[in-house]
Order: sequence, then structure tokens, then C-alpha cells
Amino acid sequence: MSEYSIIGKPTPNVDGPAKVTGEARYTIDMTLPHMLYGKLLRSPYPHARILSIDTSAAEKLPGVKAVITGKDTPGGKWGLWRRFRELSDQQALATDKVRFIGDPVAAVAATTEEIAERALDLIEVDYEPLPAVFDPIEAIKDDAPMVHEDFPSNINATRHIEWGDVDAAFAKADYIREDRFVLEAAHPCAMEVHNSLASYDKGTGRLTVWTSTGSPYFVQQNLADALKMREGDIRVIKPHVGGHFGGKNSTMPDSVNAAILSMKTGRPVKIVFNRDEEFTTTEHRTAQHMALKLGLKKNGEIVAFEVKAMTNGGAYTGLGATTLYLTGTFITMPYKIPNYRYDGVRTYTNIVWGTSIRGFGSVPGKYCSETQLDRAAKDLGIDPLEIRRINAVAPGYTAPGQYTFESCGIQPCIEKMAVRVKEKWPKIEQDEGIGYCAFAYMTGGIFNWIDTPYAYSSAHIKVNWDGTVDLYSQAADVGQGHNTVAAMICAEELGIGLDDIRLHMGDTAHAYTDLGAWGSRETLMNGNAIKDAAAQVKQKLIDIARMKLGENIAYDFVARDKRVFLELRPERGVSYYDLVKDAIRHNDGVPLTGTGHYTPHNKGMISPAYAMGIMAIKAKVDRETGHVTAQDVLVVHDSGQIINPLGARGQTEGCIHMGLGYGLCEEMPMDQGMLLNPEFVDYKILRTRDMPEIEIMHVPTYEPNGPFGAKEAAEATIAPAAPSLANAIYQACGAEFFSNVLKPEKVLKAIRAKEAQNNATSQAKK
Amino acid sequence: MKTIITDFNYLAAKTLDEALDLLCKHKDDDYRIIAGGQSLNTAMKHRLLTPEYILDIKGVADLDYVRFDEKEGLKIGALATHRSVELSPVVREKYEVLREMEENVASIETRNWGTLMGDLCNADPAVDPAPPLIALDAEITVSAKGEERTVPAEEFAVDFFETVVQPGEMATEIRVPPLPPNTGVHFMKYSQIHGDYALASASVLITLDAAKEQCVNARIGLGGVGVTPIRAKKAEEVLKGKKITDEVLAEAARVASEETSPISGIEASADYKRELAGTLVRRVGKEALERARRA
Repeated sequence: MSEYSIIGKPTPNVDGPAKVTGEARYTIDMTLPHMLYGKLLRSPYPHARILSIDTSAAEKLPGVKAVITGKDTPGGKWGLWRRFRELSDQQALATDKVRFIGDPVAAVAATTEEIAERALDLIEVDYEPLPAVFDPIEAIKDDAPMVHEDFPSNINATRHIEWGDVDAAFAKADYIREDRFVLEAAHPCAMEVHNSLASYDKGTGRLTVWTSTGSPYFVQQNLADALKMREGDIRVIKPHVGGHFGGKNSTMPDSVNAAILSMKTGRPVKIVFNRDEEFTTTEHRTAQHMALKLGLKKNGEIVAFEVKAMTNGGAYTGLGATTLYLTGTFITMPYKIPNYRYDGVRTYTNIVWGTSIRGFGSVPGKYCSETQLDRAAKDLGIDPLEIRRINAVAPGYTAPGQYTFESCGIQPCIEKMAVRVKEKWPKIEQDEGIGYCAFAYMTGGIFNWIDTPYAYSSAHIKVNWDGTVDLYSQAADVGQGHNTVAAMICAEELGIGLDDIRLHMGDTAHAYTDLGAWGSRETLMNGNAIKDAAAQVKQKLIDIARMKLGENIAYDFVARDKRVFLELRPERGVSYYDLVKDAIRHNDGVPLTGTGHYTPHNKGMISPAYAMGIMAIKAKVDRETGHVTAQDVLVVHDSGQIINPLGARGQTEGCIHMGLGYGLCEEMPMDQGMLLNPEFVDYKILRTRDMPEIEIMHVPTYEPNGPFGAKEAAEATIAPAAPSLANAIYQACGAEFFSNVLKPEKVLKAIRAKEAQNNATSQAKK
Repeated sequence: MKTIITDFNYLAAKTLDEALDLLCKHKDDDYRIIAGGQSLNTAMKHRLLTPEYILDIKGVADLDYVRFDEKEGLKIGALATHRSVELSPVVREKYEVLREMEENVASIETRNWGTLMGDLCNADPAVDPAPPLIALDAEITVSAKGEERTVPAEEFAVDFFETVVQPGEMATEIRVPPLPPNTGVHFMKYSQIHGDYALASASVLITLDAAKEQCVNARIGLGGVGVTPIRAKKAEEVLKGKKITDEVLAEAARVASEETSPISGIEASADYKRELAGTLVRRVGKEALERARRA
């Protein structure tokens, strides 16, 4: 009999039936009586001063109810780095100048979407184009145009991390290699585009916003800043969300302008971005330049590592500054690196801005470090899996001043991988190779740049007379399955069934704060808060049970299978439902409640817990076309105690899909700040038939900081996909890559460069 | 999600005669014919096309068919969808290459809506059906009120997104002749993602003599490597009259790639596409030869 009755059992998503039958309501499905449709007019220039805007013709178009420009907005700026007010750099509509192609300059509300769109054509904006800058290396030059006047050299954020004596360690290293990389941007491509429905009540002065977001509380805070209102006068509701992938943390101009237009018209206003707007004006995974210097002993032990990153931040901050910060951290994991230095710079440029896309801070960096490690291993004659085993950390490892791994299964993961690879792929054919990448990722971030005064996560539960439980939290299910995890944790703690739980999630008016779904935080942080709330109720039930049974104070009770009973004598117990009735009677008719919360303390700078593991990809390269086929993926994952194995599997497969897309085909080519592929015809996403078989094995550990020992499972496995693939190609044919996106032509060139190099070497030998 | 905001007049025909009458009447107007709408809707949403009239032929009786007889071969009506061609038993039995081609056209959803003829009329240079139809020596019937003409598949597209179909005309039928004995035909497109537009595509037909030794006829269609799909006639000459060896195929591939004039794009350069076309001709030719030997 397993320790748990619900945790660890494959559990279908609690939202599944509603989603597959079409019953589930997303923001995009919603309408309200008298609702207007909003549209944004956007800048065609990457950088320009606004000289004048004439809205008179648009206002005269029948069906148009409001046309606004920057001067009509409350003028508050907002951002996610609220702790540093100068980084609150977003605004509803540009006032003085536009900073990227797509920066909104005016907004229209009309009775139909078509009229709103026609009205945009009637607004005349007079621009004075300004010189623009698109690349971070250009942006920091003295004569570069300034994107924001108060940020010299366009430096948006910097990050320095250092421990040990890096220079001394390099001086003593047996082997040093330096590599430079250029990483391409990628878009999260959520199926549900950014959209918001705002309804302002002029009588009370209160605002309600339904929006497709990963964090209702972030939107509430940001709207308060943007509209110069009190947070408490704004209610944000997150209905079902059709995909987040990191692109829905920032508050975007849809919700802010819908709110302003609703204030102007007194009617509900809905703004839905079209796919073109989604690609060109919403946040993406940042393009960046990286330079890595690695020092090793002859035996492959890492002695020193130096990393420089320069990210193409774009026009605003978002969570891009956090990404820069984390890039310096995750690139070191899960290895013992005694001497380390990181310098990161995020620059403002005249493009749409980059942010916290799934696996943020790990994806570009790991691509560089893990492909570099393979080259180093080859030079030193060490097996690629062995060099990872030699350097992998052990439980309790601390990176000075940064992070500590409490639970840590990386070594057993690597051992299991070594065994499984031999069984699974006994023979490697011509032009095939196996590539590896070890990885680790946070389970929720500790940093508080959003400046929340509240606990990082909270949950409230109310147990009703009939035993049903209402669970309230602002925690966000964005498709990752958190609702299921939340219900499972609550049910397990109370010893009841999933059918006893009613979820009321993602509404700022009905629940205490949770910071939302980003950095893989919900399972651990919200899970701890829910477990805390449920444990309080459980204790009340145990107290009543003890009283009823007249048991010795020293005996322990458990709640399980809808009963509360003595741990050592399970036959002595009371029905959960009877206990609830008694408890409410004893409590003067008040339902049982518990309010739990969680904020990490004394857990370093990054996260209370880290999921980790190793990935292997077997791939084949076509030497004539340059086509790369990822044939098979093997993951050995330490995700702590898995709460829902079905959910964990779905998340891992999704990560590998996104990660392989990053490695193979997803890119955002731009010309003078103009995106060249803003639709799915040209933006390439892997389809079902392009996906390899995926085998996932778990090495369970018990994470002391997680609910029931759990760690994250939604993000760690994205970063290793692309480097494992590139390493597989390197093993197959020696072709080397210093950039992601292995499009066939690039692969073919790399193969020919390698062949030319080999020919030159063999000529020289003769 | 993007909406079509320009107004247009909607016309619908129930019979071919009605459709041809309407075309005759609106000959000088800015109109577009819609069948499956898989390309036209997108172009209109992006305001690349803003026609004044839309003529809907979806309801026209007797244009949705895939038929075969031993004498005249295969006939595909203008309203036959990609999916119905893909699933047609006679296509599977007699023109396997067309089923292979259809399997990789976009997605099932698109193939359920989109018509093969509409795809040809849209005249994207990378259109999937064109190379196999060129290799199969297909003809396309173009009708106007009171008249009709046929055009060889390789002459159908005349430029980037432009065909021989003139104002007042409509393409109504594709005819594919029966395959001669000892004939093998194959098609491949290359795209990094399954079902995507081809970076290049090639179809090769090879007919061997009775002894299955010498190549008596060869036809090669290429897609995605010029402003229109093309027929690689010089490469065909390399194959004709010869016993086809790997060396002969390699030479035909080299000549075929010289016949292309691809355009560089964000996906790949012209040089890459040119080389790719040659690689495909060699691979497809080898399979076509095997099939001819087995035929």
C-alpha cells in the first residue's frame, strides 16, 4: 500500500471534461450585454516621435463610441520590476514617442470589431522617424540612439555573479576553451491570444477585468499603477487560459486600454489581439549573444567557468531583467563549479521586448554551455555522459551566496541513463548520434521584484456541512494542470476524494494572493499554502475524533479514505462526514475553515527546490539535405515526489516539443525591427508527425521544501532538448553549432565546414 | 482572428452554366472565385486581395468528382477536395503518387476544405500537386461561356500566383492519362516540418522498354524552385534512351538543378534550393526506376 491515496496516482485533469466538450469558458469566449470591441492603432515605425494625432474622422464613423490617445489615459506607467520604479516602463498608449513597430498610439471602442478596425484606418498620426537600434552590441555604443532617455547606453539591467577565484583557477587549468554564441528569439505561440474584457462601474468607481493571464495579482497591481487606482478597487478574474508558456506574465496594453475605454464609455470593452499582433507585439524568448570560457582539469573536472551574456531586451522590461539574472544561475547547474563569474547586460532596443518564456533563464544559456561541454569532452577524450557524471553535484551542494540543492537526484539520474541508453540503443547507425544534456531548474522564484506585500502564495478552504470543500486561491491554472494538483493536495491532506473539492481559483476578489504561474511555482508554493490550510482543518477534525473516541493524547491519527482513524489501529476511527457535522455543531454553526500561506525564507537567492535530470536524444542527419531528425528522446527526471504522473508526463512532453522547436525551426527574423514571419505559415512549429518518441523515467527524491516532497515538472525539461539534439548531430558527424535553430541549410553548411576541416587535416598529415 | 473588413459582393452559382454566365457578366470586374477558400480567405484577411466580387462555386452540382476509366484515365473535378483525392480508391490503385503527394499537403483540416484545383489556381510556386501532374502529363480544362480549352499542366501557371486562366474563364477539370506499361512515378517534397510548403519538390516518371532495360520516356516536374512549377526537360533528355544507372541519375539531377531559378527566402537561400532540387530528382528518380521495374 502506497503512502498516499491520491498523490502519485495518474489523475485525469479536473478541467478535462469541460475543455474537451467546449463547456470551458476562456476570456476569448466571453461577451457582456452592451459590450464594445476595442482595437489598438500601432506604430509602423521602430522609433519615432509623435508630432500629432488626428482622430476626428475616426470619431465620426457610425458605431465608434470612443477614440483615445496617450493624453486621454491616466498616464500611469507599469512593469513587473515594481521595486525599481524606473523600470516600470510600459504605458497604455505612447505619448511622446514610439519605441518599436507595434507600440500602441491610439485605441478605439466600437459596436463591432469590423467598425473598430475601420476606424483605425481613419486615424492620422504624424510621426518624425528617429534613428533606431536593433542589436544589443550596437545599443551600448556611445552614439547609439537612446530608446528611453533616462537610460544611458540603453542599459536596462545588469547582473554580476562571482564566487571563488576565477582568474587563479583559469591560470591553473589543464584545458581552456572559449566559445561565442548567438541565440535566436522564439515566440511562445499560445493558442489563446492575449485578450481582456473590462467592465467599469461608474457608480462605484470599481473595475472588473477578465483576462488571459498567468497572474491575476500582477494584472491587479499593474492596472492599479497604470490607472492610478487602488488595487482594492480592481477585481481581476482569470477564466480558463488557452496557453501561457511564459508570455502571459506581463500586463499588456489589451487589459489597460480595455479598462480605459470602459471608463470612457461606461460600457464593457473587449480587446482581442489578432495573431499578427500576438507575434509582433507580445513578449518572446529573448535573442542574445553569449561568450563562455571553460577551464577543466585533464580528468574533465570543471575548475573555472566564465559567462558573459548580452540580451536583446527590446523596448520594455517585462520579466526580461529576471531572465538575465537567472541566465547567470541556471547555466551553472547541476554542476560543481568551484570558481565562477557571470556578467550579464540587458539592453533596450527598438524591437518588441523579450521576457520570461518557459524555462526562462535556462534555455539559451544551457544551449551554449552543454554544447561547449561536449566539445571539451571530445578534446580531452572523455565520454560525454562521463564528463557530466564527474561534475554533477551531490545533495546539499551550495553555490556560494546563490543556491543550495536540498533534494538532489542528479547522480542516480545519470547512472540510470547510462544503463538505459545501452539497453535502448544498442547499435548506432551511420549518420546517427546520441547527445546528452544535464539540467536543473527552479521550483518557484524567491526574488520579489514585483514588490508584493503579501505572502507568495495563500489558500483558503471552507468545509461545508455535507463534507464538500470550497478551495479558494488566486493560483493560476494556465493549462499546466495546477487545478488538478491543487485539488489532489487538498484531498490528500484531508483524506477525502477529488469529488469533494470545489475549486474557486484565479479571482482577486474571492481569494488571498498567489503570485501566479511562472517559474514553476504553483505546485510547491501554492501546494504548501493549500496543504497548510487543509492541515488546519484536519487538526480540528482530529481533535473532535479524539474527543469522540476518548483516545490517549499520545496516539496519532491519520485522515484517509474519508475517515479519521488511529494510525496504529485503523479500525478505531470516525467517518469524515460525521466529523464535519460534529465540528460545525461544536463551532456554533460556522463552517470549518483554514487559511494557509507560504513564503520561502532562508533558501538562498533563487528557489527553495530544484528539479533536475538528464536528457538523451538519438538523432540522424541527412548529409545531402541537412535535415535533422530527432528520432528518440530519453529523459531521467528527478522531480521529487510526483503529484500527478499524467500531468508531469504532459508537461515534459510539452517542454520537449517547445525545446526541439527552439533547436530546429522556431525563429523570429527581423529586418529593421520588422518581424518577417508574423503568422503560422512562416513561423514554423513542430507538428505531431515531427515529434520523436519520448520515454520518461523518474528518480524520485523527497524534497523537504515541497508539499508531500514535490518539485516542479513544467519547465526543467525544455532547456535540454535543443542542446541534446545539437550534441547528437555533433556526435553523428562532427558538425558544430554556435547558434540554435538547426535549419537544413545551416546544418549542411556546418557539415561541409567539418568535412573541409577533416580534409585539410588529412592532407596535412600526408 | 484577423477579420476581413473590406466589403465585397457575394455571388453564388448552382450549376456550371450559371457560374460561366456570371463570369462572363463580371469579366471586367475585380472578382475572385472561391471554392475551399483555404488560400483566398487568408489573402483577404491580410488585405493582399480586396476583390469587389466573390463568386462562390462550392454549390455547383457535378464538379465534385474523382473518376477513372481505362481509356481516358483519371478525371478530377474542380470541386474535388485534396482529402477526397487522397482517399479515392482509384487514385490509390492507379496513381499512388497522387496519394503520396496528398498525404503531405498541409493538414487534414486544410485538405478537407481545400480543393486540388483551387490550389493549382492559387499558383503558389511550391504548390504540391503541380510536379506530379506535370510528370503524369496531365491536362487542365479551362472553360468559358460556350467554349473550352485544355492546357498542359506545365503551362498552367505563368508567373508567381498567376495562371493561364483569363477573366471570364474557370478551370473545371484535371485529366490524367492512363499510365503506359513499365512506368514508375514518384514524388517527394522537402520541408523541415511535415505538411509545410516545399523548399523544393520533385516528381519523376520513368517508362522502361519491354525488356525493362532502357528508359523510353521520362518526365520531371519540379516545385518551389522558380516563379512557377517547372518541367525539367533537359534533365528528361539525359534519361531518355539510356539504361539508367546511378551515374545517369546523378547527371540528370545536376542538369535538373541547372534548370531551376529559385528565389532566396527566410527559410533557405536560392543556392540551397537549387542543390536540394537536384538531390530530390536523384532520390525520386531512383524510386521511380524501381517502380518501373516492378510495374
